[in-house]
Amino acid sequence: MQVVKPIVASKESNQMLQLRDILLEKDRERQLGLIERVNKVQETLNTKEKLSAKVSPLIKAELDQLKNDFPTLFGPVITETIKYQIQNSQDEVVDALYPIIGKLIRKYISREIEILSERVDKQFEKAFSWQGWLKRIKTWFGGAKESDIILQGASNTIIEEIFVIEQNSGLLFGSYSRTKTIDEDMIAGMLTAIKSFVVDAFKTKDQNLEGIEYESYHILFYNFNKFFLTVVVSGTITASFKDQLEKTVLKFVDKLRKQSNNIEESESNQFSGYLEKFFKNL
Amino acid sequence: MNIFNKGNSKLSKKIILLGQFGVGKSSLIEKFVHQEFSEMYITTIGVKIDKKEVQLGGRKYSLLIWDIAGEDTQIKVPTAYKLGAHGAIFVFDLTMPSSFENLEHDIAYMKKIIPPIPFVLVGNKTDLVDEAEMARIKEIVPHNDYIYSSAKTGENVESIFTSLVKKMAK
Repeated sequence: MQVVKPIVASKESNQMLQLRDILLEKDRERQLGLIERVNKVQETLNTKEKLSAKVSPLIKAELDQLKNDFPTLFGPVITETIKYQIQNSQDEVVDALYPIIGKLIRKYISREIEILSERVDKQFEKAFSWQGWLKRIKTWFGGAKESDIILQGASNTIIEEIFVIEQNSGLLFGSYSRTKTIDEDMIAGMLTAIKSFVVDAFKTKDQNLEGIEYESYHILFYNFNKFFLTVVVSGTITASFKDQLEKTVLKFVDKLRKQSNNIEESESNQFSGYLEKFFKNL
Repeated sequence: MNIFNKGNSKLSKKIILLGQFGVGKSSLIEKFVHQEFSEMYITTIGVKIDKKEVQLGGRKYSLLIWDIAGEDTQIKVPTAYKLGAHGAIFVFDLTMPSSFENLEHDIAYMKKIIPPIPFVLVGNKTDLVDEAEMARIKEIVPHNDYIYSSAKTGENVESIFTSLVKKMAK
């Protein structure tokens, strides 16, 4: 009896297996399909060429996107980092830039000397013309160096602005401007403030600010009792030009003094037209 | 030869703006002048100059307003900046008692270093105080003759300058 049981069980289990096969047939097919797909994925992953063909376009698209977004994403961070590095490693920055800046300056100076040399050549050509002889006679009588006068002609010295400013208040009596870009009244005030600031900062009550140099601009101050004159000059200032300018300023101030009764405090633009005429021939 | 040509001339007046740091002097000018002439001058040389042209009683005035850097005490400000001024505006902050507690002393000091000139007292920042607070402040402030203003809302900003011009024109 004990032997029969397994035969019955085996029959039952066969039937169960058949039933299972019938019921799970579709699942098995699906499983086989999945195994096949996993194999294909594994093959793709393990074969360099196939993987590259799939992934490369994605990486390229991501890189393109990053390239486009880079300035906005990382720009501020990079700028901050560079600023920080420059501030904290100034010596290294100078060391690194020195040769490049040096070369640039050398190149710039040699180019400027070339231009100057051309101008001097032209001036020498002119020197043997009638105008040149007149200039030479002028220097014999005037006492200025001929080389100064030649250099002055070559250096394009231009009077850009003239201000006649009341000493304390900084109010403008009169002005001349070649370009008329900024409000003269405000400039007059700021020039007075700068002058006062220098006197105050360096405790030089009996001395006055005589000039400020700004790249190719020279701001010259001529101080008088009630007012001061500021002349803004661009280009190279030679000794002879400075001498001529000083003489013209003194001549102008003398004329002004003779008519000083006409100067009214707080009244600006009183002789602006005359200023231009007076300094025109300089 | 007559070098004067007064056809185009206008009357210029130098006005100095005084008061402690943070009382709103620069904001008042900005509101009045409607332009910004580089604030950085104040931090570099301690003064900023603005210009405004006004017409009053048929006369054109060119106001050069010197906004002098505010300090805890006016003694630290370079005296030269105040010289030659035709008028002064003394600004204090209604929300900052330290700016008006020593008003008498500050005005006395100003009169000592520059000749007597017309001036206007201004209590600024009315937008930040209510009526009850204002009444309390009026009891503390030693002067009665002052203008309340707000650089933020623009309240009385024009009046400050026109009232000073009127005083200077007398």
